[in-house]
Amino acid sequence: MLADEGKPYRVVLERIGSYRETLQAAVLAARQGNPPHLAQLFEVGSQLAVDSGIFEPIGNVGGGIDLSDYIEPVINYYTIDGAVNSIPFNSSSPILYANKNLMEQVGLDPTDLPQTYGELLETCATIRASDVDTNCITFPLHSWFFEQWMAEQGAPMANNANGRGGRATETLLNSEAALRIGEFMHALGENDYYSYTGKLEDWSGSDAIWLNQETVFHITSTSVSGTLPRNAAENGFETVTGLLPIADGVDRNGVVIGGASLWLLAGHPQEELEVARDFALYMTNTENMISWHKLTGYYPVRQSSVDQLAAEGYFEENPNTSVAFDQLLETIPNTATAGALLGSFLDTRTIIEEALQKIFNGTAGVEEAMNEAKELADARLDEYNANF
Amino acid sequence: MKDNAVFRGRFLAFVLLLPSLIILTIFLYYPTIQGMVLSLYRANLFLGTRRFIGLENFKSLFVGTLSPRYIQVVGQSFIFSALVVILGICLSVALATLASQKVRGARIYRLFLIWPFALSPAVAGTIFLFLFNPEVGTVNEVLKTLFGVKPRWLDTPTLAFTLVVLAAVWKNLGYNIVFYLAALQNIPAELGEAAEIDGAGPIQQFFSITFPMVSPMTFFLVFTNLTFSFFDAFGMIDIITGGGPVGPKPFDNAGLTTIMIYQVSEDGFGGSGNSGLAAALGNIILLIVATITFLQFRYGARRVQYGEN
Repeated sequence: MLADEGKPYRVVLERIGSYRETLQAAVLAARQGNPPHLAQLFEVGSQLAVDSGIFEPIGNVGGGIDLSDYIEPVINYYTIDGAVNSIPFNSSSPILYANKNLMEQVGLDPTDLPQTYGELLETCATIRASDVDTNCITFPLHSWFFEQWMAEQGAPMANNANGRGGRATETLLNSEAALRIGEFMHALGENDYYSYTGKLEDWSGSDAIWLNQETVFHITSTSVSGTLPRNAAENGFETVTGLLPIADGVDRNGVVIGGASLWLLAGHPQEELEVARDFALYMTNTENMISWHKLTGYYPVRQSSVDQLAAEGYFEENPNTSVAFDQLLETIPNTATAGALLGSFLDTRTIIEEALQKIFNGTAGVEEAMNEAKELADARLDEYNANF
Repeated sequence: MKDNAVFRGRFLAFVLLLPSLIILTIFLYYPTIQGMVLSLYRANLFLGTRRFIGLENFKSLFVGTLSPRYIQVVGQSFIFSALVVILGICLSVALATLASQKVRGARIYRLFLIWPFALSPAVAGTIFLFLFNPEVGTVNEVLKTLFGVKPRWLDTPTLAFTLVVLAAVWKNLGYNIVFYLAALQNIPAELGEAAEIDGAGPIQQFFSITFPMVSPMTFFLVFTNLTFSFFDAFGMIDIITGGGPVGPKPFDNAGLTTIMIYQVSEDGFGGSGNSGLAAALGNIILLIVATITFLQFRYGARRVQYGEN
């Protein structure tokens, strides 16, 4: 390890902007012959990153690395064609956040949160029937939730084993599983149970709605399981968290890991690659992952970190975060929960979000909207695949 | 003195033009030509791939699965730009005329009117978003208290479109007013006095004297506002609506506030980095703006009054 040998390496940090911009910047820097050593990239950019050819699978550098301590569903996402491409750093999944005070006012049991769409819609009806002036649920209108709801049903988003058995050539956005999600969105729209700012991917907008007690429930990332309850407490209410509610009548397969990972860029001398890799490992060592988790709510990606947190009694003190771990650790590793690999994932996201918005607004029927989404996403995928 | 003074030596003229030419070549001509070439290729930003495909990208824009989106985007861009330019010009000439009246505190009014000019489109967008956030924005807080209504500014199609138009008009107001104020100062006072003696009211004075006298400025501002609405409104739209919401049928193929330049950025940088397709749409914008500008100079210039002769 670099620290052991006391070698004079310096870590220079550069913030580029959004995840999308960081990937662009890394690619352009590499093309101009001046690549950084590490880049922090978001999960849906994985196929683009692999295809760009500027990265070195981090698990292949030197004699390889011991990954046995990394939580399986997490490392699963970043394993492509058998090689570990990147080291997961900030990992998260969606959970249900509930306003305990409002639940009690409505007469709901805050220890028994809805776990399926059906239960959630019933709870929404109870809230509507009560004299408490609040709506049922908010979450950002973001494709990420659709992706998670697909994985929970064990349903892939794309053919060729979610793009992991070979390059995906077709999306599966009108599968039975996808239609169930559409039906849920339709029910939320028809009954006016769902509240959002109207803007797509508006994370802070939905946080504000929930913190303002405009809704009882909120679905968002575990990455704010530390900060969101703190902000809620400042606004005078208590938070309880639960598993992500999923489609009725299907087994809970688990979640796809979201967030970002550290990618190693090719084109550096072997020694520098190893040092950069060691730094990525250092960032995700047991202690650093614990402090990172406590600060933000992002998962520690190592089993040893989870064990140590449990031994400290952290989960008893912070029951809201243990839901997140249960959800992750109970995830069944399969191609659906490993997450889709699509070169056109970002285009697909916009297409899914617009389809869900049409369903919610009642502009289009569920099947109509999802069929159209599939057709558009396939056209974008064809366009992308035509590059090879 | 002769009206048209000319430089004797061509060399000197060239030397004086050189700095501008260098800058224009590097930042304008070269990228424009690159954009034209790129639109003929299937090119990807992330993959670095480039393969000649002729006019395929243009075909994708106007026929095929993806085309309904682009056709809608082109159409709504025209409406957006027309509204931004017409409303912007009318409002600023009216406000500038009022602000140039000799009243107490006129300088303060002018300052406040010019102020939006100092903001970047992104900052202006953020201000509008804070104001019009349907759940936690200031405007709806007030509307709910006073009238018990909470309009859905960001996902009611007409409201979202109107909001973005108004935001763009407001952002441009300061710029337009600065120019109009300058133009109004140059109108000889005798004209107004003569008109008053002849019994013309303020409204007649405005339409018969003020408006024709500032027509060179209007001519210039129509062009800059047009460029703004086609190219620079991008930042505000990104922040306020993110291009959404999808409209009712048949306008459900794209977000209603997705104007062409926003779609270019979505395709080229936001999605899977389809640079070729983005370049093709970029060229369409170039063609449209060039055509409008040509028509403006061809037909609009005749109506402009440049002083006595």
